Amino acid sequence: MNTLIAIGAGIAVFTGLGAGLGIGIATGKATEAVARQPEAEGKISKLLILGCALAEATAIYGFVIAILIIIMLNG
Amino acid sequence: MHNLAERLMDELNCNYIFTIPVLGGIGISESVVVTWIIMAFILLASIFLTHNLKVHNISKKQAFAEFLVNWLESLVGDMAGEKGKNYSLYLGTVLVYIAIANVIGIFGFKAPTKDLNVPAALAIMSIALVEGASIYEHGVKKWLHKFTEPIAIVTPINILEVFTRPLSLCMRLFGNVLGAFVIMELLKIVVPIGIPAVFCLYFDLFDGILQAYVFVFLTSLYIKEALE
Repeated sequence: MNTLIAIGAGIAVFTGLGAGLGIGIATGKATEAVARQPEAEGKISKLLILGCALAEATAIYGFVIAILIIIMLNG
Repeated sequence: MHNLAERLMDELNCNYIFTIPVLGGIGISESVVVTWIIMAFILLASIFLTHNLKVHNISKKQAFAEFLVNWLESLVGDMAGEKGKNYSLYLGTVLVYIAIANVIGIFGFKAPTKDLNVPAALAIMSIALVEGASIYEHGVKKWLHKFTEPIAIVTPINILEVFTRPLSLCMRLFGNVLGAFVIMELLKIVVPIGIPAVFCLYFDLFDGILQAYVFVFLTSLYIKEALE
């Protein structure tokens, strides 16, 4: 039973993959935009930080589910 | 390792510090007591800043207080749109509270947002505010009609959004604080000195304040959408 719990928790954290990819691509586009127009850097970095915090949430959901699986199923 | 799992479980449950012997004993949990401490701090700071206000020849303290209020109002009022400016008072208060609540872990207290009840209560308050603002502005019939816009097919999704939005707000805030705590505990087991301080700077200060701003930003975005 413990191995199934461990496997379940491990699969639940896979949501980090999407968040990492998304934030990486967004940061790449943001650096391109700043390189194209350096005077807009303030607005671009504000938008980037906000977008990263929002995209991070999906990875956090997976982490919370993994913790819940481990604790609720009494690992 | 088993010790760590026990500590995690212990921190997740809310412990009652004392019970008020009224109506069969109301249990007061740790997060409520820390919230009282935060409230006392904000109250004292407000009284100190607004003492002896003048119209002309303002002191430096008053200039700082005016700068603070203007900055908060512009931060949350911009996203909420024209009609949403009235809600900037509540949103500013929530921003200050969540920011202090996330950061207070540095001073040795247990952060109230680590208890699942506190982000859940904040999220329920936010969604009640959004729907209430919509009803106050448009009336009940038009509010019900707004669920079928822009096409009638998306009505189930709109109804579901009333429940998923507070859920995602709550989980984002709670998950970030819980994740920071777990990683800090693991770090303290591996390297007891030095490195946890640097990570504490990132997790508690930067991440805590950012999550407070994201919470308020999303609420003001929903308000703007509801008031259209």
